[in-house]
Amino acid sequence: MAFLYPVNFSKRDSLMGIVMAAAVVLTGCGGKITLEREVHPIPEDADRSVSAPGKPGSVFVQSSPGAPNTFNKLVAEDAPSSEAIALLMDGLTRYDPVREEVVPGLARSWEISEDQKTFIFHLRRGVLWSDGHPFTAGDVVFTFQAIYDERYPNRGAYDLSVDGEPFEVEKIDEHTVRITTPEVFAPFLLYMSREILPRHKLIDAFEDGSLLRQWSIGTAQRTPREIIGTGPYRLRSFRVGERAVFEANPHYWRADEAGQRLPYTDFLVMTFVSDQNSAMARFANGETDVEAITPDNIIWVERTAERHDFTIHDRGPSTGTSFIWFNQHPGSDANGKPYVEPHKLAWFTDQRFRQAISHGIDRDGIIEGVLFNRGTPLWGPESPANTRWFNPDVKQYPLDLARSRELLREAGFDWDARGRLHDKEGNRVTFSLITNHENPIRTAMSMVFRENMQELGINVQVQFLDFGTVVTKIQSSFDYEAGMLGFTGGIDPSGGMSIYHSRGRLHQWHPSQEQPATEWEARIDELMLRQLKTLDFEERFAAWAEVQQIMSEQVPFIYLVTPNAYAGLKNRWNNVEIPTMGSVVWNIDEIWAP
Amino acid sequence: MKTYILKRFIALVPMLLGITFMVFVLMSLTPDDFLTPIRAQPDVDERYIERLEQEFGLDRGPIAQYLLWLGNIFPLHYDGEAERWWQRIGFQVNFGYSWTYRVEVTELLAQRIPATVLLSLSALAFAWCVAIPLGVLAAIYKDSIFDRLTSILAYAALSIPEFFLALIAVFFAAQTGWFPVGGFTSLDHEFMSFPARAADIAYHLILPAFVLGVGGIASLMRIMRSHFLDYLRAEFVTAARAKGVPEGWVMFRHVFRNAINPLISMLGFAFSGLLSGALLVENVMNYPGLGQLVFQAFLRQDQFVVMGAVVMSSVMLIIGNLLADILLAKADPRIRLH
Repeated sequence: MAFLYPVNFSKRDSLMGIVMAAAVVLTGCGGKITLEREVHPIPEDADRSVSAPGKPGSVFVQSSPGAPNTFNKLVAEDAPSSEAIALLMDGLTRYDPVREEVVPGLARSWEISEDQKTFIFHLRRGVLWSDGHPFTAGDVVFTFQAIYDERYPNRGAYDLSVDGEPFEVEKIDEHTVRITTPEVFAPFLLYMSREILPRHKLIDAFEDGSLLRQWSIGTAQRTPREIIGTGPYRLRSFRVGERAVFEANPHYWRADEAGQRLPYTDFLVMTFVSDQNSAMARFANGETDVEAITPDNIIWVERTAERHDFTIHDRGPSTGTSFIWFNQHPGSDANGKPYVEPHKLAWFTDQRFRQAISHGIDRDGIIEGVLFNRGTPLWGPESPANTRWFNPDVKQYPLDLARSRELLREAGFDWDARGRLHDKEGNRVTFSLITNHENPIRTAMSMVFRENMQELGINVQVQFLDFGTVVTKIQSSFDYEAGMLGFTGGIDPSGGMSIYHSRGRLHQWHPSQEQPATEWEARIDELMLRQLKTLDFEERFAAWAEVQQIMSEQVPFIYLVTPNAYAGLKNRWNNVEIPTMGSVVWNIDEIWAP
Repeated sequence: MKTYILKRFIALVPMLLGITFMVFVLMSLTPDDFLTPIRAQPDVDERYIERLEQEFGLDRGPIAQYLLWLGNIFPLHYDGEAERWWQRIGFQVNFGYSWTYRVEVTELLAQRIPATVLLSLSALAFAWCVAIPLGVLAAIYKDSIFDRLTSILAYAALSIPEFFLALIAVFFAAQTGWFPVGGFTSLDHEFMSFPARAADIAYHLILPAFVLGVGGIASLMRIMRSHFLDYLRAEFVTAARAKGVPEGWVMFRHVFRNAINPLISMLGFAFSGLLSGALLVENVMNYPGLGQLVFQAFLRQDQFVVMGAVVMSSVMLIIGNLLADILLAKADPRIRLH
């Protein structure tokens, strides 16, 4: 009872005082933390940054929802790992998201053969790994050897091959590499931004079969300097479940016009948080320098903008898509029971039915109610965020109940006295919609959709399931009627092969078809292959634009909306160029703070 | 005593088999598996997924997977040579490696153990240091307002779920700024001097240790109080008082020494929760210990990590119980173990 008397309150306060004083001592005594940089000559072939020269020093802090699982590129499957590896290592090429093109990386330049299958890369001379060992063509050859090795299953082996056939990689001399693809492969140069591994460091592990166990988080914790790369940073320390601290790599191969080696920041701290919400809370609290802010969180984050001197930048529509689709799988399960009841399958495979549904959705209502007016309607597979590949000339389906009813009537549907929709055999139109409960925007959108459908006399039962259950249903058991999901958009349409090609795993309305079931799917298959097998942008764009058109005509996916993307960034950073998609600080080596 | 300990360890084997089998079955009943997130990505080749399924054994049934795992962890290995075979049996526990991290499960667990042990021990020390004096005082001043108040607080502490208290603590830290909002160390930890680092860790430890300890305080205090009361009424206490022993001497020499005995065996039970007791607190307060690792492994269905953690905490539980028995036997000569 002692601590309930006011007398003792003061005691507690003084205790707090001591704790707080300790906190001040802890955080305040060190002053500004700076890095004693090692000085090494800048390589002869160094890349000169065109942005205005800045001042070295300062610490960049960012949070990462989830921690890297590994620092080994062959193992990395998750975004945090890839993000961390990208800070440490480079590929032959780099992608510039502002100019939306592939620019030279570790390769100073390249030549493309007549038949568009052979590429000769000229590597930068004088580039050193972060341990001072020279970077040569041997490293490039080794990287591909590791990727294609049977003992080390990894994604790269499948990404960097055409129909299961790997690229041929040969060393011409110490600074020249020739890579030949079995067929013309459109995203080749983009994929060449994949990180190169140091041969001298990993060859022993490669030989003895333990390559995938190298550069784990154990290595990072015990001997962070052992993880070497050519990137702007090297790993200084790694604390499991807490943070990774990176420091400027004194051997980095980029410099500014004044001859100052990049990066400008001394340290980059990546703190691991449990989810996006806590990442945003940290940013709003002034603890981190950059954060992606979702539309529903802008209002409260913005409140501290002045105190912590940051700005929330509007990046326009995001690359993510969201859509509803109907299960058009005509097959049956092991007991002979059709996945979809035949009369429902007849509705779902009717283009007019799907178009009518699309016309019945109030996308503006979703944007207003779910995204607080911070969203953009979608009509096709490419979000307007991808300005390079977006085709604005697709069929649009604004809310139009009259048109919707007209289409349904044409397709033989009719309403009874109580306004309920029936098909020509008299079946009441009703279906269930599955979506994953982990995504609050999707669950909210599905409720709006349900209400919209009531206007048309259609009864929708919404089911929220675990993401894993949804994936199992749409990829192997097929026992559902309609679904709602989304994809995060990619840079290049070649990433969509498994979605749009009828043989694809994620061709969700009817996946893994032996032969395209419809003519328009056959046409999409043809166009997808065409865009994959040429390097000519005009030709690729024409093909992909037509796919977007067909998708919007046929509406196998009824596209909904995309939330707008917002990026919070502290105002002290200079040389920042925020692209419409991808990382806000993609040019992390060029940004600086006074 | 030795045979008793041996018996308990032999009983461990069927128990572990049962527990691990149950966990395996439960995990295989969920509709998704480790590869589900990869399957949902558009730019992953189908052949790669098949390759991984084979590698992880996910293309086999749950029983086959379990037997494979069991074969791997079996601690005795024999290389097949006939000559001097008794020297060729190696003893090594192999929990396999994590699919997510490609790191040995034992190493992964070892990385996290120090933080969790530190947290559990601090919580334990905090709980004991507060509960014992409070329990004694509550017994001495039985039915006073102090006694009533502490029992109300004890019931309150027992009925607040740990995760909820952790949430309140995080909210409190965020609102007042007096404590860090979670984590184990500060951002600039590695740039500090050694004493500052120690202080930094201690400062981060206060709230989680408090949250984890509060539940323990309540029950310990009530037990201490009732034992103390029992001995307060004992005849030898009356005898001591009657022969004129000073009251303080009676309380601490005679009553306290006897009343604390049963509590010592509770230390054994505390041992069993040393590694697994902080799961909720660690996850809510973003404390980088074992609980966080295991929880994430569960969500991702990283099978071998989950199994490794389950085996470890079961063994800890059983050893803890054994320890409690032994301590009790040591403290109380009337108890014999068979």
